[in-house]
Amino acid sequence: MQINYAKKEVSCKLVYYGPGMSGKTTNLEVVHQKVPDHNKGEMTSIATEGDRTLFFDFLPLDLGKIRGMTTKFQLYTVPGQVYYASTRKLVLQGSDGVIFVADSNADKIEENIESLKDLENNLKEYGVKIDELPVVIQWNKRDLPNALPVEELEKAINWLNAATTEAVAATGEGVLPTLKLAASLILERLNSKEPGAPTSAKAKVAEPKEKKEVYVANINADKISRSYFNQYCQIQYRLATKSNDVEDFKKFSTEEKKKLLDSLINYVLLLQDSKARGIQADKDHVETQVKSFGRKFKSQEELDDYLGRRRLTLDNLRNEATRNVIIGMVIKNVLPNIDQRLKISSKEVAEYYESHKGAYGDKTYDQVKSSVVGRIKATRKKELLQEFFMKLREKSTIEIFDSNI
Amino acid sequence: MKDEKLRQRRLVYYKEDIDQIDKLLDEFIKLSGSVAIFLIDKDGHLVTQKGTAPSIHPETLSALVAGSFAATKEMARMLGESEFSVMFHQGKKENIHISLVGERAMTATVFDTQTTAGMVNLYSKELMTKLEVIFNIASKREAKEHSLQSGYSDSVKDKLEDMFKE
Ligand SMILES: Nc1nc2c(ncn2[C@@H]2O[C@H](COP(=O)(O)OP(=O)(O)OP(=O)(O)O)[C@@H](O)[C@H]2O)c(=O)[nH]1
Ligand SMILES: [Mg+2]
Repeated sequence: MQINYAKKEVSCKLVYYGPGMSGKTTNLEVVHQKVPDHNKGEMTSIATEGDRTLFFDFLPLDLGKIRGMTTKFQLYTVPGQVYYASTRKLVLQGSDGVIFVADSNADKIEENIESLKDLENNLKEYGVKIDELPVVIQWNKRDLPNALPVEELEKAINWLNAATTEAVAATGEGVLPTLKLAASLILERLNSKEPGAPTSAKAKVAEPKEKKEVYVANINADKISRSYFNQYCQIQYRLATKSNDVEDFKKFSTEEKKKLLDSLINYVLLLQDSKARGIQADKDHVETQVKSFGRKFKSQEELDDYLGRRRLTLDNLRNEATRNVIIGMVIKNVLPNIDQRLKISSKEVAEYYESHKGAYGDKTYDQVKSSVVGRIKATRKKELLQEFFMKLREKSTIEIFDSNI
Repeated sequence: MKDEKLRQRRLVYYKEDIDQIDKLLDEFIKLSGSVAIFLIDKDGHLVTQKGTAPSIHPETLSALVAGSFAATKEMARMLGESEFSVMFHQGKKENIHISLVGERAMTATVFDTQTTAGMVNLYSKELMTKLEVIFNIASKREAKEHSLQSGYSDSVKDKLEDMFKE
């Protein structure tokens, strides 16, 4: 049963069980015929060509809003034939009640007994005792000339003392009363045994005492805890490493840690500053960056493999992308004359080429010119950012607790 | 003890959880470019849905998805796998991607040529992790005071009586 307070909906699952050919599917067809259109959905049958149920039949009933809750019954039948044992069990999962359709035919008594035992076993495997579940036994095919008297059926089959009904499903007789009885039993359950009695024993289990947080740095109003910092270090490592042998837990030297903390502080400062300026990373922009990262991989498997080995999630990528996007925006907004400052004269290019000639081998100046320009620009950008962070730091209060790193 | 067992079998979803879940599903649809997504519990009850797929009857889809997932679970067991966590059915225009959410539920995502199976798979992996977190929190939460109105069961019985008038 599902009680969904968000959708204001109660949904119960009721399963028709019983031996092959006893009339389970027929029961469902009758319900389908007799229930008003607005209270029912389509009936779905997964059956063999000869109309024997292969997996299940399914019919959803919608009783409409009752005391504020939309109330639904999902009706299923199982395949009765012996060799569909495993599918029969699957359909039974989570059922709130069972209608056991027994065949009154005198020749079928053993099959009825077998099937009821099978029901009991399957329920047990789901951890349900059959006498704790609403069960109605329907003596079906009362019209057969060789139908056993009900008293005999009771004696032979109803060792559970379950509620019973009589029916001729083929003509529709007794089908709805059976369903109504089963539904009432399920509902009575709902009355008597509400979930929600607080399980006090469980609730009293003491929460572990909150660990005292240790901080590695205070940056203006923000504090960086050691655990957060450690995590940051690991993720930076996993993002950066080129090797496919990713260490579970990377150990860093103090020097490396200080560098990482430096970069984290810059990031926090950047976030604080952009927030103060009302600059926000555009979500779509971030997603585009993440996607373009994904496109670097030849296939989905490769990307999965890459992320899996590094134990990285999309959110990790998103954080990185967010940082890049914000940096880009801040550069544009905060350093408005950036284009000016990034203008590079041909004299500079020539000078750079001359002093780095060795690195360019025997390529001519014209061949490498554009790459040189790119290089100078990148260096210049870095300098500008560094300058920007220096300024931010000057007007900020930053405390670093070296001993906690 | 009995109550506890019953509680485990009775799936109760509270508004705060569903609100969170709905938000995740909305986001998922946008990011993955899917048409619709259905969250279904393992017993075949629909929990919530987002997006629109007019041709699909949600309850029937839920029953079929839960059934076929249970069946593949059996197949997995035969192969010695604990379970297959993803199932994918490809059509000419529309496809369906089914993914297990922890022990209790699954999602069925309908998508068309607007996106690719890879994209849906990528974002649904992430979604599964997030949903599992919500489910875990929800399942540990102490059951709240039950708030089905008194007389609910009797009213349902009246309704059944009315519906089944022959
Ligand atoms: N005489 C008689 N025949 C019935 C009655 N109910 C069902 N039948 C017939 O029994 C046969 C089997 O009915 P189904 O409803 O398909 O049986 P089932 O239990 O779903 O069978 P499986 O799907 O194989 O498990 C059909 O030919 C029905 O017409 C009844 O009350 N009297
Ligand atoms: Mg059948």
